[in-house]
Amino acid sequence: MKTFHIILKSLKEQYRNYWVLLLTLCLGPFFIFVYYLITETSETRYDILIINTDNGIYEHGQQVNHGKNLHTFLTSEKQETTPAFFIFNEIKNKQEGIEKLKNKQADALIVIPESFSQVLSASKRGDSTNLTTVEFIGDLTSADYMISAVWVNEMLNEYIFKNTTVKKIVTVQETPLGLSSKISIFDMYVPGILIISVIMLMFTATIAFISEVEQKTIIRLKLSKLSAVEFLIGTSFVQLIIGIISVVLTLITAVLLGFKYEGSLFILLVVASLTSLSIISFSLIISALTKSANEVLVVGCFPMFLFMFFTGAAFPLNSKTLFTIASYPVTVPGLMTPTHAISALNKTLIMNMGFSSIMPEIFSIIALSIIYFVVGAFIFKRRHLRLT
Amino acid sequence: MDSFSNLPNQHIALQIQNLTKRYDDILAVNNLSINIYRNEILGLLGPNGAGKTTTISMICGLLPPSAGSIIFSDYGVKNQKLLIGYCPQENIYYPRLTCMEQLQFIGLMYGMTSKEVQERANELLKLLGLHDRANEKAVNLSGGMKRRLNICLAIIHNPQILVLDEPEAGLDPQSRVLVRDFIKEFGKNKTVILTTHNMDEADRLADRIAIIDHGCLLMSDTPQNLKKTIGEGDILEVIVENNDNIGFINCAKQLSMHFVNVKTNANSILIKNPGIIEHLSAIKNMADNFSLTIKEYKLRENTLEDVFIHLTGRSLRQ
Ligand SMILES: Nc1ncnc2c1ncn2[C@@H]1O[C@H](COP(=O)(O)OP(=O)(O)O)[C@@H](O)[C@H]1O
Ligand SMILES: [Mg+2]
Repeated sequence: MKTFHIILKSLKEQYRNYWVLLLTLCLGPFFIFVYYLITETSETRYDILIINTDNGIYEHGQQVNHGKNLHTFLTSEKQETTPAFFIFNEIKNKQEGIEKLKNKQADALIVIPESFSQVLSASKRGDSTNLTTVEFIGDLTSADYMISAVWVNEMLNEYIFKNTTVKKIVTVQETPLGLSSKISIFDMYVPGILIISVIMLMFTATIAFISEVEQKTIIRLKLSKLSAVEFLIGTSFVQLIIGIISVVLTLITAVLLGFKYEGSLFILLVVASLTSLSIISFSLIISALTKSANEVLVVGCFPMFLFMFFTGAAFPLNSKTLFTIASYPVTVPGLMTPTHAISALNKTLIMNMGFSSIMPEIFSIIALSIIYFVVGAFIFKRRHLRLT
Repeated sequence: MDSFSNLPNQHIALQIQNLTKRYDDILAVNNLSINIYRNEILGLLGPNGAGKTTTISMICGLLPPSAGSIIFSDYGVKNQKLLIGYCPQENIYYPRLTCMEQLQFIGLMYGMTSKEVQERANELLKLLGLHDRANEKAVNLSGGMKRRLNICLAIIHNPQILVLDEPEAGLDPQSRVLVRDFIKEFGKNKTVILTTHNMDEADRLADRIAIIDHGCLLMSDTPQNLKKTIGEGDILEVIVENNDNIGFINCAKQLSMHFVNVKTNANSILIKNPGIIEHLSAIKNMADNFSLTIKEYKLRENTLEDVFIHLTGRSLRQ
């Protein structure tokens, strides 16, 4: 009988704390929706760049360019047998292609050699003495590259077989991007985990803000000459230090366990600091919407999980464009700063790219942080710091 | 009626005019107007839910009024925030900071220099008997000590007006004495506004009492005046030794010509009248005239409780 009354009382308490109850119940459906937005609203696609350096050959009174024909074959084959997954674009300059790969604007770069037509033609006549090499360039840690490369390789063999009935006259040379051939799976995960250590700031930062409200000491601060900006900056500063220390500790642990990185530590610290600031700003929004540390534990789960699992922090993630602002693609993960932070760390720590290459990421983190901060500070001030 | 209302204007600390606070369907403070003076301790006396906390929250600026205004006199202070010290009903402190640390912190937040705040904190901790606990974390203090720390925090910046919400509620006797002495001392040359539902506290502490019920100000005056003028008044029982009937009855008759309510018992005369004590010698003379020997006087003074019952028809304690 007592159990029954416990159930009754517990139900009442849950029901009257309906805000927290609602959030708990919404967590699952919410993530289904987010996952849908990220994965389903845009189709999967692989962007493959082709550089055709094939000189062609004069055959039966006609100019033949097998490189060009291969391109056409890849494109048409795609339409007949496979869904419109693979998008081919021809470019001229290899350096430009590599830049695009590094910036994730393309998944693979295929370079067709000068002697391509010549070797194919000779082989058709039965002369298989000459070989030629098609170069595949890409980030070996990227699943998108792997899928693109496997498919193109398959199609390449099919094209050659169709045209020469011989196999094995073309070899494929794979050129890894940056450090991508040397790194282990472990190395691949480290940039994300470095950022996870910053994401964890969300709880300490939110609680730092909200504890003043919860223990009501904010009343004393409101009555004093302290301004809202001073309060927010002062509280944030301590959290920033915690964020930096936590990234450094994480990095030291990773290095001790064998993590190899390229690029400068300075860039890592810049990225980590900016990301910490963005997480602190975001925490301000959470604390503006809550009244106690208990509420933070429930409300904070939403952004926490989003930031962990939908930014590439916990595992690598590919996401598709939601909409574009001034030709800059905006994705759901793109609205969260860790996405950019991880991208920047991948570029610098793994690909060994310079500071200038992560300017778009740095800019995105700063812009988003400002948005988080302005929104958070505005609501926080209205809800918790207002004096008449 | 209000013995303060003839004080000149320069003695006013703040003027509350038609102050009103409405929560959805509750009128917590209803058109309240009162002047509060410098160097006075004003007690807002009323039962729970009367609107005391709401009123002082508006005075402190923590709550916007629905209507009316609060006008502070010109103290020549640049920032009005420096004028007021607020000691809330519940103790508010940083549990993980020591007494000294939080006093310093709050002082610095009011723009004091470290040196000023250090001196002031030491002085206050001594004044409220916390100096040997200066380096104790607030969470480890007893309830009474937390209350005293709370008062220290309220006045670290040396405000001109101190607002205390139920300062003595739930205090142990030792803390109560310390707090009471402190408030008395502070009120000598500053303004103190305190709320209480305890008439004894109001009676002992306040220079003037404003009685509030259901958000309305019913009356404000010194405790002495309130007790003297409102309610049935003091009850004096005069017990006589030799009640030879004629003198006894004639004396009672004579007394009833001077006092409102006079009754006789077997060997005593009951006189109900406000401020009866002042008439004690006259009563004795009268008894002498009728050759009555007075064995003993029993006096039950009019209390603020009686005043409150008279004003509201209800007991303060309920
Ligand atoms: N935030 C609020 N919302 C609704 N009603 C309130 C609120 N605060 C106080 N009240 C109501 O206003 C009335 C006065 O409250 P209060 O000023 O705290 O009384 P007191 O301090 O005299 O005990 C009470 O009826 C109380 O329930
Ligand atoms: Mg109250």
